[in-house]
Formats: sequence, C-alpha cells, structure tokens
Amino acid sequence: MNAVDAALMVERLRVEFPVLGGKPKVAVRDLDLSILPGEILGLVGESGAGKTTLARAILNLPPPPGRIVAGVIQFDGKDLLRLSERELQSIRVRNISMVVPNPRGELNPLVPVGEQLASIARVHLGKDKSSARAMALEMLRAVQIPDPERRMRAYPHELSGGMAQRVVIAIALMCSPRFIISDDATSGLDVTVQAQILELLSHLARKQGSAMLFITRDIGITAHFCDRVAVIYRGEIMEIAPRESFFLSPRHPYTMLLLAAFLHNPQLRQAWTHPDASLRVNPDAGIGCAYTYRCPRAREMCHTIRPPLAERTSGHFVRCHFPLERE
Amino acid sequence: MPKVLNFLKLAVRIAQVRPRFLLGYVIVLVAIMAGLLAPFLSPYSPIAADSSHFLQAPSKTHWFGTDAVGMDIFTRTIYAPRIDLTIAITGTLLSALVGSFIGALVGYFSTGRGIRVHLSYAVMRAADVLQAFPVFVFAIALVASFGQSIQTVVLAIAFVNAPIYLRLMRAQVMAIREMRYVEASLVAGLSDFQTILRHIIPNAMTPVLAQLSINVGWAILLTAGLSFIGAGVRAPTPEWGSMIAMGFQNVATGQWWPSVFPGLALAGTVFGFSLVGLSIEVFADPIKRRALVRDLEIARRSREVAALSGAEGALSAGDAP
Amino acid sequence: MRLILYIGRRLLFIVPQLLGIVLVGFLLVKSIPGDPAVLMLGPTATPDAIASLHTKLGLDRSLPVQFWIYIRNLAHGDLGTSWQTTRPVLEDLVQRFPATLELVSLGLVLAVLIGVPLGLASAFNESSWLARIANFYGLGAGSLPDFWLALVLIFIFYTTLQWVPAPLGRIDLSLVPPPPVTGMLTVDSLLAGDWSAFRSAVGHLILPALTLGLINAGPILKMTQSSMEKMLQSDFSRYEVLCGMPHRLVVRHALRNALPSIVTIISVLYGFLIGGAVLVEIVFSWGGAGQYAVQGVLNSDLYPVLGFVLFSAIFSLFVYLVVDLIYFAIDPRISH
Repeated sequence: MNAVDAALMVERLRVEFPVLGGKPKVAVRDLDLSILPGEILGLVGESGAGKTTLARAILNLPPPPGRIVAGVIQFDGKDLLRLSERELQSIRVRNISMVVPNPRGELNPLVPVGEQLASIARVHLGKDKSSARAMALEMLRAVQIPDPERRMRAYPHELSGGMAQRVVIAIALMCSPRFIISDDATSGLDVTVQAQILELLSHLARKQGSAMLFITRDIGITAHFCDRVAVIYRGEIMEIAPRESFFLSPRHPYTMLLLAAFLHNPQLRQAWTHPDASLRVNPDAGIGCAYTYRCPRAREMCHTIRPPLAERTSGHFVRCHFPLERE
Repeated sequence: MPKVLNFLKLAVRIAQVRPRFLLGYVIVLVAIMAGLLAPFLSPYSPIAADSSHFLQAPSKTHWFGTDAVGMDIFTRTIYAPRIDLTIAITGTLLSALVGSFIGALVGYFSTGRGIRVHLSYAVMRAADVLQAFPVFVFAIALVASFGQSIQTVVLAIAFVNAPIYLRLMRAQVMAIREMRYVEASLVAGLSDFQTILRHIIPNAMTPVLAQLSINVGWAILLTAGLSFIGAGVRAPTPEWGSMIAMGFQNVATGQWWPSVFPGLALAGTVFGFSLVGLSIEVFADPIKRRALVRDLEIARRSREVAALSGAEGALSAGDAP
Repeated sequence: MRLILYIGRRLLFIVPQLLGIVLVGFLLVKSIPGDPAVLMLGPTATPDAIASLHTKLGLDRSLPVQFWIYIRNLAHGDLGTSWQTTRPVLEDLVQRFPATLELVSLGLVLAVLIGVPLGLASAFNESSWLARIANFYGLGAGSLPDFWLALVLIFIFYTTLQWVPAPLGRIDLSLVPPPPVTGMLTVDSLLAGDWSAFRSAVGHLILPALTLGLINAGPILKMTQSSMEKMLQSDFSRYEVLCGMPHRLVVRHALRNALPSIVTIISVLYGFLIGGAVLVEIVFSWGGAGQYAVQGVLNSDLYPVLGFVLFSAIFSLFVYLVVDLIYFAIDPRISH
C-alpha cells in the first residue's frame, strides 16, 4: 500500500519517554501502519502497550513527557509531524478527530456541553452563533442523547458516563472528518451502554465514509465491525490481518494468548503462557523480539534478532520468527 | 563510592539545567557560613560601640559603614545569621514536628468510631480559630505574655506556624489512609499508632519537607519584624530587623547604609531559602519532576550530538592525507 | 432560595466562630503582664482608687466571670476603653479601621495589577524573558521585608527625588480633613469636593500602598502562574488542543478555570493584611487599626487588642463569605 491509496500512513514512528538518570523508555518503536479510506482498523493491546501514545502521536500531541523522535505520518499528501502548530490546528477534529476515554475528565467542567460543541462548529466550520447552536443540537440528536435541548445547557459533571461519551463522539464526528481515532471509547461504561456506543460509533463512521483506527483492550469487540485487526505489544505491531484471516488463523503467540483470555478458555490460556512469565523482568533493550520473555515458544534466535513484520498469506502480516502455520 | 560520584554528577547536571536551585543552596550555605565564621571574617566586635566613628559612609575600613553609635555594620550583618537563622530554623522545626504529629493523628482519626472523631473535629475547629488570628498581633502578644527573650520568639514562631503543618499533614494522612498498604498493615496486626508511624508518616512527609524551607524564610521575616518594633531580639544583639530599626531615623536624613545593608542580607537570605524550598518541591512532586527530567534529557541529547560531531571532526581530520 | 439558605447557615456559624476567637484572644490578652487599673490611673494613683477601679472593671472576679462581663458588654456595643487614648475602643477603631482598609485595599489593587498580568505572561510562554523576570519577582517579592522596602521607597521617592510628601500620617498636617463619611480620606474628600485634601491624601497614600502592592504581587503572581499552568496542562485543556481549538481560546478557558484559585489568594491576603500591614503602618505613622493593636500589646492596653482582633476576624469571615458566593457564581459544580 502506498501513500496515495492510504487515508493515513504511519512510517517508522518512534516515541520515547525520558527517564531520570537512564536511557529513555521507548513507547512506540519503529511502527508502520496504513489505513485505507473508509476502512475500520482495530488495534488491540494491553495497558501500557503504547496505544494511547500512538493515537495522540498521530495528531502530533504525544502525552507528556513523551517526545516523537523519528517517523513520518502521511496524511493528505503532507507529513503531519513536520507541520506547524497552526496547520495542525486546522486539521485536528476537522480532518482527523479523536474519541477520548474518560469523557467527563476531558470536557471543560465550566462550559456547558452544547457550547463546547457549538464552538467546534464556529471555529472549524465558520458557522455563526445560531447555526452553530443548531448544528450542535443536531449532533446531540444524531448520537441519540435523549432530550437534547435540555442537555445542551448541561455541564459535563451532570451527565452520566454514557451520555458524556456520546457528547465526545458528537464532537469527533461533527465535521465529518476523513479519519477518526477511537481510543478506548468504551472503557468504564456498563456492558449494555458499551454495546450501544459501539453500534453508534461504527454506524456513524460508516455513514460518513470515514476511516477509523479503533483502539481497544478487548479483542472480542473488534470482531464485530473491524475490517482489519492489528495487535500491538510494547510499541510494536505484532500481527495485522483482515478480520476473517485474523480470527480464523491467528499466527502470533501473543494473539493466541489474547484470544484465549477472551474465550475464557483456561487450558488454551495456559498453553500460551510462559511457565514463569510473571516472574520475568523484560529488559527494554530493543534487541530481539519484544515478546521473547513471555513467549512459550521462544528460542535463542528470538533473543538476538528482531523479527520483521512479514507477510504470510495475502494481507496477513506477522512479526515472529516461528509463527503458527495454518493449512 | 560510585554511588556518591553518580549523585554528584546528577547534581551538577541539575544545576546546569536549573541554575536557580544552585543559587538558593549557595545563598543558604553562605548565610550559614557567615554566621559560623563571622569572628574570622571581621576584626570588629559586633556589639562594641565607638562613638567617634558614628554614621560613617561605606569605606575601605568599614565596608558597610557604621551606624549611629559607631558599630561596624558589615560585622553586625554577618553576625546576625547566628540569631536569625537559629531562631527561624528552631521555631520552624518545632512547629513542623508538633503540627505534623497532631495533624497526622487528627487525619487518621477523622473518621471511624467514637470519641476520637469528635476530638479530631474539635482540634480542627481550634486550629481554625488560631489561624483566624492576625498573625503579627498574635506573635507579639505571645512574646509579651511570656517575656521578651530569644526562646519566646522561637515559641511564637512555632505557635504561629503549627496550624499550617497540622492541615498539611492531616490532608496527606486522610488521602493515604485509604490506600491498600495501610489496610494491609492493619490486617497484619499493627496497631493504629504503629501504622501511623511506620507507614503513613513517611509517605506523607514530602509536602511537609517542601514547606519547611519556605517556612524558615517566613520565620526569619517574622523575627526581623518583631525585632523591628522592639518586641523581638533586643539591641545591641546583632539582628537584621533591629538593625533596620536602629537605622530608621537616619534614612530620611540621607544615611541609608545602616538600614539598607541588613535589609539586603535579610531579603537575600529569605530568597535563598525560598529557592531551596522550590527545589525540594520539584524533587518531591512527580509531576514537576517530569519537567525537570525532560530538560535533563534534552541537555543530555545535545551533549551527545556535540560529542558525536566532535568525534567525527577528529576522525575526518585524522583521515586527511 | 438555596442561596439564602446557604448564607443563613454561614451567618449562623459565624457567631460561634467569633466567640471562639474572642475567647482565645481574651485568654491571650489576659496573660500579658500589666494591671489595667494601675495603667489607667497613672503613677499617682492611690491603692484605694486602684481597688475601686478593679471592682468597677470586674478585675477582682474570676476569669470566666470576666469573660462573661466582656461578652455582655460586647452585646451592648461596649468594647471597653483604651487607657492610652482614654476613649472607648469602639470609637478608636471606627476612626482607625477605615484607614487600614483604605491602605490595604489600594495595596491589593496594585498587587493584582502587577501580579496577575505578569503571572499570565509567564504561564503562556515559559521560556520568554518576561517569564524569567516574573519567576524571579514572584519569589523575590515574598522575600522582601515590608518595613525595609518601605524605608527604601521613602529614601528613593522622598529623600532623594522629593516626589512625595513626608511619610507622616495620612494627610498634610496643615490641611483640614474632610468631614468623615466612610472614614477613608480619599473617598471622603471626593465626596466633599475638596481637591487639595484629596491630592494630599493620595500623595500620602501612594508610598505605603505601593509597598504593600509590590510585596503582595508576589504571591498573587505565583498563584496566577501556577494555576494557569495547571489548567493549561490539564486533561480538558489538552483535549481542546486536540480538537484544534486556537491558542487564545484554550487560554481563555484555562483562565476561567484558574479564577477560583486566584480569587482565593486575593481574599486570603485581604484578610491577612488587615493585621499584616502593621509594620508599614508604623513606618508611615499611618494611624491604622493594626498599629493601634500593636501599641496596645506593647503597652499592656488590652481592650484595643481584643477589639482589633474582633474587627479583623469579622472582616475576614465576611470576605470569605463573599468569596464563596463568587465561587457559586463561577463554578457550576459547587451548587451540589
């Protein structure tokens, strides 16, 4: 896939976090990722795998004190990492937007939600006050918030978690951006509300024809509506494949572990867990395969040589020296 | 030995990135040294009046000039830390100890069963009342009640500042109390008291430490203020506040040096303690520490780049035929 | 309606708080050595006169009874008499309190005018030279002794430059002060249309107010700076940046969120300075309430001290109430 076809293309991205008195911690390591227009790509990883770092780095806003030290992010023929702040401002939420987790913590507590929505319309779409308000109201309706007129004047802390999440989705979709990043959009919500939110999000994204990077810790969710699924571990993509191929023939040992956990299958889980994984300290050296210390199939080669992300069958890439072979 | 060396290296790097911290520690060191080494730094006596040489402008023989009774101002200025610093540090430490201790108890027992809860509440209301008192009037009244001496000034400072540490410690303890390891300690059989001592207090100390240095600065100002109006340290003991008071009349007639120099020393010393307090705040607070770490990292990278280009330069020079 | 309930509840709490303050003050003041009767009657007093004054003042009774007598008198508006001025303390304070209020208010206004813009400037661009100056000022201002700065300013602006009148009191001694309406000379002379009195009052007010302003700008600057920084680094500010909001909008919202902290420190300083401006009052012979109380302590004149403590406490509690009401208006989260 080259830059012309992709909606967004990440190349060799590297994000580091400085550490007091030592070498910096690498949160995202030489990561490549491409997303086609209109495609929904699921990205699965555990806490600390670098998902949020990646998500925010795309907008050139790595979580402090992180720093982007290398890489290119191609969007609309430009490298996002080389743009000025002003140019980035016009792209954010207008062309690339993000659905954030913990919405009540991210919305401004002193501003009513309707006003926060309307200001997006004013700033990015050039609307005047009344049409911005009308648009905000319409968006609240689109995300299925009950009694939207009253909710326009509500403050973030007055909303439930689910409703606040809908507001954040409304903000992200307001300008019909071409690319949406959904970072753990359903964490902390009730299971039933989760399902509703996911339904809403995928429906609206498809309707607008936006491409989406759907980040989650829950591999099961991706099976529902993602076109492709990727697995991230310690800042590196370990496996990426079209949905069917991913779930029918997973190849990376870590993917197997994630699936085993999701399927609540203890024997399977045990089969894919390293016998003393919990006791092993994984030195962050960047040498060899990052998964070595937790991998039950690791061999000597894995300690010293980093496996490349190689294509096994059409569109199915794995980063492993000894992936599972199928068929 | 290598640990000490690494620590020193880190200290130097921090000083390069945050020169104001270095300034603070240097000032405090200078003030302490001046007080300790004063007899060796000046031939004059700090309390010997010499009426034939009064109100002389700064000169080579009297670096800061002389005051209205002929005492050398430079000498008195560098002797003053003995009084000012001793009073301020003692008073602050006392207030921190007493205030923190009571605050920890109050915080720990603020919820739960029985009379302890009510006592905690009562202590907090008492602290409210104490803090509602105009600080200066309170301090002067204490000094007036207990008699004017260095010890009572120390006590006044302790009294006035204790509520600050009480509140600080209480807030910290109330937050920490909810944490898991406290639960674990109690389950393991430690009594309330032991839990407080061994687990809660060490973790609650950080904001207290940050406050200490700044407090010492305030305490010096309070001491000087009390002495200025004659309710603190009595003349002719060298003390910055009383020196400023003694030079008070002379300012209007143009002899500025008896009041200005002690004031500069006073302001400078308090400033130094404030900077030290700032540095402790940064070291103790993880959020502030991050900014420091980031700056250290940036500095380290530019050093590496410089070293690299230097090495390359050496290489290419060596390769030239 | 909720508002009225809230104010009512606060006012209800004020009474026991004040009682507590008066009690502590009473105990404190009673521990100061010195017999009020002897001081009032002077060195020529006979033992009989002293004894009868003791009885009249209730000094021969036990402490709790004396306290009760004081409270009872308080309810009738009698704060006792000062043996130094030989006038009722209430009268003395009514004359002096506005002087302190005038000075402290103008001082705080100056402090805000200096501190807030500098604090904002340094929060916006942390590495600019203005930010460095602001940092230095924030720390340095709090390190300056106020009585010393007053002397330095007097030396510069009076002794050397002769720009201001002599630091003796609030108005030129040769002028007739305007009829007292608020007790504040600047306001009263404006109300009376007396321009020369106004000019003289302002001229005398400038230096002490500047002293207070320069020093107290420090904490205000630091609070503005740290509060703005905190808001700019908060999740919601970063979210606004994430949404491509222009910088000035993000800053404006951050300022709105930072206001409560800034207002808090201003109010704390206000309450503090009523008693805390004492040294400046003394240097400028201002005749303010704090000076009155300090002279009371130093001369074992107890009622002025108690009266001042009461006045200053009422003022502080009132300021805190107003501030909490302001919070109500700014922050929608609090009404819960």
